Amino acid sequence: MAAKVEAGRLPREGSPWTGLWAVVAKEMADYLTGIRMLILEVLIVLTAAGTVFMAAENLRTTVGQDRFLFLRLFTAQRDPLPAFVGFLAFLVPLIAIALTFDTVNGEFNRRTLSRVLAQPIYRDALLFGKFLAGLFTLTLVLTAIWLLVFGMGLVRLGVPPGGEEVARSLWFLLATIFYGGVWMALALLFSVQFRQPATAALASIAVWLFFTVFWGMIAQGLAQTLVPVRYGLLQEALAQDQVARALTRLSPITLYSEVTMALLYPSLRAFGLVGMLLQLQEGVILGAPLPLSQSLLLVWPQFTGLIAATVLLFAASYISFQRQEIRA
Amino acid sequence: MRRNWAVLFLLVSLIVLAGPFPVRAQEGQSLLLFCDYPARVAELGETVTFNLTLRLTAAPPQTVYLDVKGLPEDWDVSFRGGGNVVRAVYVEPDKDASVSLRVVVPENVSGDTYRWTVIARGEGVSAEFPLELTVAAKLPPRLTLSVDLPTLRGAATTTFRYDATLKNEGDEETTVNLQATAPQGFLVSFKYLGQDVTSLPVGANESKRISIEARAYTQVPAGTYPIEVVAVGGESQASISLVAEVTGQPDLTIRTPDERLSTQVYTGRETPIQLLVQNNGSAPALNVELSASPPSGWSVRFAPERIPEIPAGQQVEITMHIKPADKAVAGDYMLTVRARPQDGGYESAEFRITVLTSTLWGVAGIALIAIAVLVVAWAVMRFGRR
Repeated sequence: MAAKVEAGRLPREGSPWTGLWAVVAKEMADYLTGIRMLILEVLIVLTAAGTVFMAAENLRTTVGQDRFLFLRLFTAQRDPLPAFVGFLAFLVPLIAIALTFDTVNGEFNRRTLSRVLAQPIYRDALLFGKFLAGLFTLTLVLTAIWLLVFGMGLVRLGVPPGGEEVARSLWFLLATIFYGGVWMALALLFSVQFRQPATAALASIAVWLFFTVFWGMIAQGLAQTLVPVRYGLLQEALAQDQVARALTRLSPITLYSEVTMALLYPSLRAFGLVGMLLQLQEGVILGAPLPLSQSLLLVWPQFTGLIAATVLLFAASYISFQRQEIRA
Repeated sequence: MRRNWAVLFLLVSLIVLAGPFPVRAQEGQSLLLFCDYPARVAELGETVTFNLTLRLTAAPPQTVYLDVKGLPEDWDVSFRGGGNVVRAVYVEPDKDASVSLRVVVPENVSGDTYRWTVIARGEGVSAEFPLELTVAAKLPPRLTLSVDLPTLRGAATTTFRYDATLKNEGDEETTVNLQATAPQGFLVSFKYLGQDVTSLPVGANESKRISIEARAYTQVPAGTYPIEVVAVGGESQASISLVAEVTGQPDLTIRTPDERLSTQVYTGRETPIQLLVQNNGSAPALNVELSASPPSGWSVRFAPERIPEIPAGQQVEITMHIKPADKAVAGDYMLTVRARPQDGGYESAEFRITVLTSTLWGVAGIALIAIAVLVVAWAVMRFGRR
């Protein structure tokens, strides 16, 4: 304890980024050549190809004209396969967790951490490098899928995408990357916290399961208790809906699905009960697409929330890592 | 004896030679020619058939030639028998032979009584019979045009519809051309049975109801406009004077200086929009009141709220201040703006208002990320190990 406090007071020497890119390059090389990565890639490419092929088939037969035809590739579904975005919301956390759950504790167990730190590399750079390498790998995979979807769309639909479609889907790609980033930072935190990789993996999966399955129900129940509808008034229902939405937004899954909806459905103007009430309001022109800037503003809190959550979770794992004793 | 033979030869040759010579009418031989209705009346161009009967008394059966005398050259006259054109009839004694005389009255003769004689000439007998045909001259077409209500009153946008009766008092069908002379700015059309017509056939002694429609195709000023309608059929013509009294009325339109009926506003922020209220009518619009029906929670006000007078053909500029509700959802809204003059119907224009949310929250989001990054920076400062 005393040593740590002293270290805090000591004047720093050198940049914490020294050796960062070396770590990033090594880690990425590990990821990309690993068998784990191969399995994940095959899984995600197969789902992407399958869902988008079905979506394109669906669009070819049903949709005559749509200003945002390429966005429909991501959202259109055809039985028995769900839409591509649905798969992404499900698969991206799994990939992120699978890539990072043993980043730090794996090194501990293999007793390689002290050997790495014996090199002229700071701890900061090591953790930053590991996280950035994971994020870059995820970006690489997702970008490849994005390109695959657009290529298949071009081949199957035979029309070029419009500028706004490309812009919207690029924002969607960015949101997907940071959605993965949240789970990656969480898995990193657990891999720093728990010495056993299995425990870290289980903890990450548990959090993911909790948000996927239970949090929606819990938020609904909490909202009903906190803001009960006593007289059946519209205001009460609205208030309850607002509280329930605010609670579910603690889950990155909700944040990501709302960002996706706003970006891929340009005519979406509001979420939940407010959006439904909008249809009843006088003077509202429904179905008119919002400009991209307005769609972004609609989900800007969710979007920035995803990024901030990624950064904060990383900060937590950084602090935790810095405070650990590393002895081989 | 030789002399006797010579006399006999002379007698025989006399008898033989005398054969072809017309035999003199002998006492009691007669040919009778008569007609059942010898004096007839016909119209121009009509075909008249006279039934003639030939009767031979105390004479051998013979061929009787027929002829007509006393008719002008250009008349088409023919004898008919058994469906064919004939020149002669074979008549047996004490038996009537029928033949008909067909006369076609030419179109161009004057109305008069024409007399001629049919001559029947047989062998030694002949007969004549006078026939008479009175040709009634047709009345030339004479048109009359009458209207129940020759003076109509209405706004500049109304269609003035006059119900007219066109009558042909002549005995001949005629094609009537209808023409109208109207002041500039008026379009006159004729309708018969719902169809647009400019000429129509009217039978002899027939009358047809036509409707004369006059429509102003530009905004004509208030006033009295005479319309002359002429119906010409052949030589005859009829005319009538109609009057359209146009009363003035204001006609407002709402537009913007750049003709765009869409605009963008930010939530909770008041945005002014320039409007032009134009009076395209023929009378000034008085006390024009402006109103709008915005979505709930919005405020729309006009400066000025009321325009005392917009003269005809003039426009007035006003400012509309739109303030969407503070929590208005971004997107497109419909806003109906109405201008109602003191007397007369209102005019409305629909605006498409795109509500944009303020980028203030965007800045807040960036600040959130910045705080997160600052936390990392602080952690690096605080816990970094060099």
